[in-house]
Amino acid sequence: MIQTAQDMKTYRDRIRAALENRFLRKALDNFASAYKVSRAKAFEGIDLETLKDQIATGKDQALTQLELLFNRFKAEAEAAGAVVHLARTAREANEIIAKIGRNNGVTSIVKSKSMTAEETHLNDHLEAEGFNVTETDLGEWIIQLRHEGPSHMVMPAIHLSRQQVGTLFGDVTQTPVDLEDIDRMVKVARKELRPAFLAADMGISGANLAIAETGTLGIISNEGNARLTTTLPRVHVALVGLDKLVPDLSAALRIIQVLPKNATGQALTSYVTFITGAVECGASDSGKKILHIVFLDNGRLDLAKDPVFSEALRCIRCGACSNVCPVYGKVGGHTLGHVYIGAIGLILTYFYHGKDNARAIVRNCLNCQACKSVCPVNIDLPYLIKKVYANILKDEGTRPAKNTVLSTVMKNRYLFHSLLKMASTLQKPLVQKEAGVLRHLPFIFGKAHEFRTLPALAKKSFRDQWPKIRPQIQNPKYRVALFGGCVVDFVSPEQALSLVRLLTRYNVQMEYPMGQSCCGLPAMMMAEEQTAMAVAVQNLDAMDPDRYDYIVVLCASCGSHLKEGYSRLLADTSEVTEKLRCLQDKLIDFSSFMVNVLKAAPEDFLQNQTRVAYHSPCHLCRGLGVTREPRELLQTAGLDYAPCKDEDVCCGFGGSYSLEFPEISAEILRQKLDNVENTGAEVLVTDCPGCVLQLRGGMDKRNSRVRVQHIAEVVAENLKDP
Amino acid sequence: MKHHELTYRMKEKAELVQAVVTTVCSMEDVLRYVVDLTLRQNGKSLVAPCLDSQNRQVLETFCSAAGLTFLHPPLRNHLTDIHTALTHADWAIAETGTLVLNSASEDLRIATMLSETHVAWIPASRILPDAVALSDRLIETMKSPPGYMSFITGASRTADIERVLAIGVHGPQTLHILIMEENPS
Ligand code: SF4
Ligand code: SF4
Repeated sequence: MIQTAQDMKTYRDRIRAALENRFLRKALDNFASAYKVSRAKAFEGIDLETLKDQIATGKDQALTQLELLFNRFKAEAEAAGAVVHLARTAREANEIIAKIGRNNGVTSIVKSKSMTAEETHLNDHLEAEGFNVTETDLGEWIIQLRHEGPSHMVMPAIHLSRQQVGTLFGDVTQTPVDLEDIDRMVKVARKELRPAFLAADMGISGANLAIAETGTLGIISNEGNARLTTTLPRVHVALVGLDKLVPDLSAALRIIQVLPKNATGQALTSYVTFITGAVECGASDSGKKILHIVFLDNGRLDLAKDPVFSEALRCIRCGACSNVCPVYGKVGGHTLGHVYIGAIGLILTYFYHGKDNARAIVRNCLNCQACKSVCPVNIDLPYLIKKVYANILKDEGTRPAKNTVLSTVMKNRYLFHSLLKMASTLQKPLVQKEAGVLRHLPFIFGKAHEFRTLPALAKKSFRDQWPKIRPQIQNPKYRVALFGGCVVDFVSPEQALSLVRLLTRYNVQMEYPMGQSCCGLPAMMMAEEQTAMAVAVQNLDAMDPDRYDYIVVLCASCGSHLKEGYSRLLADTSEVTEKLRCLQDKLIDFSSFMVNVLKAAPEDFLQNQTRVAYHSPCHLCRGLGVTREPRELLQTAGLDYAPCKDEDVCCGFGGSYSLEFPEISAEILRQKLDNVENTGAEVLVTDCPGCVLQLRGGMDKRNSRVRVQHIAEVVAENLKDP
Repeated sequence: MKHHELTYRMKEKAELVQAVVTTVCSMEDVLRYVVDLTLRQNGKSLVAPCLDSQNRQVLETFCSAAGLTFLHPPLRNHLTDIHTALTHADWAIAETGTLVLNSASEDLRIATMLSETHVAWIPASRILPDAVALSDRLIETMKSPPGYMSFITGASRTADIERVLAIGVHGPQTLHILIMEENPS
């Protein structure tokens, strides 16, 4: 039985236990690395973006007419000899299937892989009704024998080692199995499961696709068990989510073209099967297969009508959002999902398995956007995850105290900024002088937070320094405003000072509009949308885009939130639409500004060839889509850029995430820093002050000789005097 | 794409998924190939559910000469004793090295699912560049149900234990593809 943590305390215990499983981490890490390579290879020469758009648009259209598609499917399939059912709930689906079994005198059942059957807990129901059920997909069989749920949607037993499987098989067959020999284990499964196929009266399968125009089921598989399941027994029941309906074969072929490639980097699975109606079957009295197709609603029809969440139904269950998720990579599927796993699991759990099962897991997201960028149907997973969290807070009617405090403070810029100033004074006894880090963490942080040092607030914020240092440029080439963000302003003003230096040298007039406040992303991360909206409006008031040629950000997270987040938050505020569009058009990250606008050239810099590694911030490479410019800028600025493994994997910061899940954050950070140290770099450069904070804190804690700097700092350091 | 390019592509892609691909010139080549292969693998039996009666007779003669049992339909009577299955394929998709078999016949399904070795022959002219090129024909077949259409790409496989690729889980353990070059002369 699957038991998902329903409160944070239990959840944290589970996470700690999962983090102790070193095999799991190693296996998932190897998989993540191999996956990226094989996926890229599988999609070589394919225009993936166009294909993704086509599939997503097609899915969206289908979702607006699910009932129509269902009726068409039913008419076609029934004309071809099938019986088509519609189950409103999971329980109803299970009962329909049990009844089909009873009516046909079934005793033993073989099953091929179906996430939908996992969703309805079909096995438990059928076993309670006295049927003998055997899972035949190798991974599913293994977890059935272990009485577990799947830990990955495509590879359900990825959490187990060969030794664990070998031992299990040895127990089941009462014959010792060589614990290293995977080929042998596979043959054991072949041999053990063959009699089950031969004896079964009924086969239950899922389906990846239901093609309405012909009433055809499409099933994608590798092992061949789905073919046997749908062929040998006289009864075949397919349990299919309504979201699997597609209008026609071309829509189906597009999905088939993408699914295996995106799932595991396989060009195509060994088998793709299209079943239309009741085919010949020698085991049945009529000589025809007894075919029942049970469509499952279980909330899908309502979900399809939801303006925000309907896009979750585009999911084709490729599992890729787990493959690339840094959190999944550390804790595995049993800790990051209920039945459905990974990013999409955090969302679907709420809708299919209720808020109690979703409550804790939904918080376990860094908002790193890795899932979103790999999803073949363009689901904005991190956004929907936050939305689910917001819904749960609303359902429960209580908000964590920290949410209330954050909202009150952030909505009022004066209060927010004076509190920060006060904190800067109050922290004095805790600060370690030269390093500018906190010597002791305040007692509210536990031991788990000791994986990195936390920076002290700056003695003097950037906004307090600005009036005195504001350069006045004669005949400036450009006028730009800096959108600083909280970390630059209050923790790392030196990053903004570097920018001042560079811009002055390039004859650019810089402004720092004082009315700006926090961008509001932290509020979004805590699902406080109202607050996020209020600060968005304040910032839009403060930053008048008409007065500047560009609005530069040093913080990728602020940048991507201003670009993407604001559009969504202010979508219904039509009076600001024009202004927002103008601001977004002028918004540019530091590296792109230096490279594309100022055309920084090598002769402007000392070419000292310091060896640097680069961390690509989530919100820069995926949020703003900037990947080339920072690397080019490093080289232009006379630095020796040493490529590093997994440069674009999250550093584990995620704002408040690292406070909420310090152990996971620490583990993600550890791996990041190991990779960096392996490059032999002297400096680790990145372009997001939040990442700097996390990375520097981690390097400091491990007494590493690698310095961590914002890209503006290293570039400014190498600037030659004119 | 020219036929020989498609054939080349088909061979290349199918071999990537561990299929054994050979070019042959005649039905006799095909029949000799399955018998030899079965003997080499120490197999005892052979089925060929969709073979026309003339070729079946030839194959039966080859089998008895070689000491192999030729199993007759209905194959439900032989679920556990099929070593080699010889079938044709209706089409092939070069892009992925895939065979496409209209498997409405139960005997054909049993042969391709429960044999240890599956040998399929395909005329070179029936190799298409990609799945899209096949869609009109597929739709046509799907519109005259009931139907069971199979795309087969390599042998049965799994990576469910530690993601290590293992061949031959529930389906055939080896797949041989015989591409028949039509001789214009
Ligand atoms: S945003 Fe990142 S952490 Fe969150 S679910 Fe997606 S991949 Fe995982
Ligand atoms: S949400 Fe996207 S990436 Fe995740 S399983 Fe579904 S389709 Fe695949």
